[in-house]
Amino acid sequence: MSEDPFSERLKRLEDRISAAKASRAEPVSRVGAKYTQGSLAWRMVTELVAGMLLGLGVGWGLDWLFGTRPVFLVLFVLLGFAAGIRVMMRTAAEVRKGKGEGALLRASQAETGPARPDHE
Amino acid sequence: MAGETGEHGGGGFNIHPMDQFMVEPLFGGTEVNWYTPTNATLWLALTVVAVSLLMVVGARGRALVPSRAQSAAEVTYGFVRKMVEDIAGKEGMKYFPYIFTIFLFILFANLLALIPTSFSTTSHIAVTAVLALAVFVTVTAIGFVKHGVGFFKLFWVSSAPTLALRLVLAVIEMISYFVRPLSHSLRLMGNLMAGHAVLKVFAGFAGALGIGAIIPIVAITAVYGLELLVAVIQAYVFTILTVVYLNDALHPGH
Repeated sequence: MSEDPFSERLKRLEDRISAAKASRAEPVSRVGAKYTQGSLAWRMVTELVAGMLLGLGVGWGLDWLFGTRPVFLVLFVLLGFAAGIRVMMRTAAEVRKGKGEGALLRASQAETGPARPDHE
Repeated sequence: MAGETGEHGGGGFNIHPMDQFMVEPLFGGTEVNWYTPTNATLWLALTVVAVSLLMVVGARGRALVPSRAQSAAEVTYGFVRKMVEDIAGKEGMKYFPYIFTIFLFILFANLLALIPTSFSTTSHIAVTAVLALAVFVTVTAIGFVKHGVGFFKLFWVSSAPTLALRLVLAVIEMISYFVRPLSHSLRLMGNLMAGHAVLKVFAGFAGALGIGAIIPIVAITAVYGLELLVAVIQAYVFTILTVVYLNDALHPGH
């Protein structure tokens, strides 16, 4: 018995295994992706608001500490607003690059195959 | 949750939508100390019991052909696992037990809150803030363990031209780092509280309208369906963000 038929059989078996694996690959997570867009919108809004609230709180606290209202209050509300926008833009960038929560959106768009997004 | 307000129907609107969120001692008395068992304690405990029932008792059979409870547990497991893999990759799987625990806890707390006359634990900022803080501390600790002092580079925008600008940006970055736990906890609490308050308001209408109560009752049914959706989605969203933050700590630098 030569080696050839054996390796051929082995190859056929491998083909069958990979075909079976492909057919059994779990479908991409659809349930979550459906709501991901909505949750993203919510996420951005709360991030913006939370940034402003945090700035307000920090400014208020510093003013209370130093008795200089409204200097720090004004300053930190603006900084907090900037921070809120910063976080929001980062979330948007995440979606654009298909990282983070955006990875879920991308996974839902890929129709065929186990589209495992390469992280990083 | 929206218990019936039937006992004080008639005479105008008797709507107290926020009464349902009051923490009261279980066994009489009015004082609430840190050790007092309250309705919050009860429903938090029931949440843990419900999770255990599904994951420990339900999945006990470990049958090849799963029972109904086991397959429910398996579907939940697979769902969260897939999400963690999608977002954080194989590296994130190390933290899967923690993430899965958070998901189950919030999911069941939200769902149990929908039982009439129950107490919605996750509508309290105290509960959600602790959950979000736990995530925040964990993620920060992982960041420091993985990257040491280099983790502080996250706050230092070295691409900014002048030192003054870098300082201002450092403050902004610092604030934006703390925005996350705040928005993380506010979102869950806000959604739950708003939904349950709306239910209660409609219930109050039903008590006051007499025969016309059919309209608010239909509305309650619709809002209840919405709340069911919100309960699941908010648990899901909280978990997603946990994974996203975790992923950022594993790979900082944006």
